[in-house]
Amino acid sequence: MQREEKQLEASLDALLSQVADLKNSLGSFIYKLENEYDRLTWPSVLDSFALLSGQLNTLNKVLKHEKTPLFRNQVIIPLVLSPDRDEDLMRQTEGRVPVFSHEVVPDHLRTKPDPEVEEQEKQLTTDAARIGADAAQKQIQSLNKMCSNLLEKISKEERESESGGLRQNKQTFNPTDTNALVAAVAFGKGLSNWRPSGSSGPGQPGQPGAGTILAGASGLQQVQMTGAPGQQQSMLSGVQMGQAGQPGKMPSGIKTNIKSASMHPYQR
Amino acid sequence: MEAPPVTMMPVTGGTINMMEYLLQGSVLDHSLESLIHRLRGLCDNMEPETFLDHEMVFLLKGQQASPFVLRARRSMDRAGTPWHLRYLGQPEMGDKNRHALVRNCVDIATSENLTDFLMEMGFRMDHEFVAKGHLFRKGIMKVMVYKIFRILVPGNTDSIEALSLSYLVELSIVAPAGQDMVSDDMRNFAEQLKPLVHLEKIDPKRLM
Repeated sequence: MQREEKQLEASLDALLSQVADLKNSLGSFIYKLENEYDRLTWPSVLDSFALLSGQLNTLNKVLKHEKTPLFRNQVIIPLVLSPDRDEDLMRQTEGRVPVFSHEVVPDHLRTKPDPEVEEQEKQLTTDAARIGADAAQKQIQSLNKMCSNLLEKISKEERESESGGLRQNKQTFNPTDTNALVAAVAFGKGLSNWRPSGSSGPGQPGQPGAGTILAGASGLQQVQMTGAPGQQQSMLSGVQMGQAGQPGKMPSGIKTNIKSASMHPYQR
Repeated sequence: MEAPPVTMMPVTGGTINMMEYLLQGSVLDHSLESLIHRLRGLCDNMEPETFLDHEMVFLLKGQQASPFVLRARRSMDRAGTPWHLRYLGQPEMGDKNRHALVRNCVDIATSENLTDFLMEMGFRMDHEFVAKGHLFRKGIMKVMVYKIFRILVPGNTDSIEALSLSYLVELSIVAPAGQDMVSDDMRNFAEQLKPLVHLEKIDPKRLM
């Protein structure tokens, strides 16, 4: 029993925070629409919508969570109604509900829809029942056919127009770039590596990378060092770096210890 | 010389072992604006923060085959901030259900003579780069969108060249060991950035 109460409380808290977040983002969106409508751009509106949909999603997830008890089984009954101002209630509702009285309760604790809405729903259901099952089926089928026709027309239009160019633009990331960047950050692939190597020519000054990189066509060469003794495999494949044939730059400005025939840390 | 995996270390008191949970992706230059816009909406409301950092990676080659790697990072646009020394362990392989890359992480703020100190200790600089980009926060999650620049003349951070036409996007959390549920939060956040960016756990060893 106690566990269930705790669960109920926890899920109520979660629900409360989600709803508060949602309220805040709705509020800021409304503010944006009302006050900045002349400067508003579509992407900014899209972002607000994305934010709202994200929050609704999390709200749904919280409700569907297995630890959430069925709220349907809980009943809320007002115990005391008074026309006096209630400071506690004011504080909790951020000043929106000052009085827990007879006019406030039906609106806030309502579980059935509005009377007008109920009327409309009843009318719709009687209309639907009146048509009869066969006619209803036929109407459903024609609606489906029209929808599929429309979808086909739209997709054909999209294909025939400059969809080639459009789809190119839609690509917002490049997986090869991702790998290159991750490799660069993880172990320096593509950045100027100073590989101390024993037998690289001592007269090899540190060429600034620009020179060798723009020796372009050799760009994607993977310089295999297996031939020369004591040299390590160059790791400069992938990204544009092409060395003009020599491995391991030896820039003189850097105080690196020249360890001959040292193990390349990443040698397989 | 790698630190042993967290589970084997005895509890002797001292500092808590922090783990870094990481998801990475990239975004092309022309889509950067939309990504920044979306992040501004999703993340904590704060002034958009940009950073320009210079990172140097130092190696200490011992008798073992795998050297010890330390990363020293300094801010180029904020004078007076301390240098940041970081150790990152090997990614913990294990739970396939874990949605993020997890590795041991030690962060230390140091004074400006860090490079001299490391050289005296025997470390040698392996590579360096400049990172320039934006930083966002959401709770304990940190999102960094930055461009990596190659340094053309060693030691000179003015002559730099962009490494590629994309920005690297990293979503990371530094948390005490054992809190695997944070990777679920990271995955949910990453879902919200699709289809602009595909954030996933990328194993660096695969890219060697």
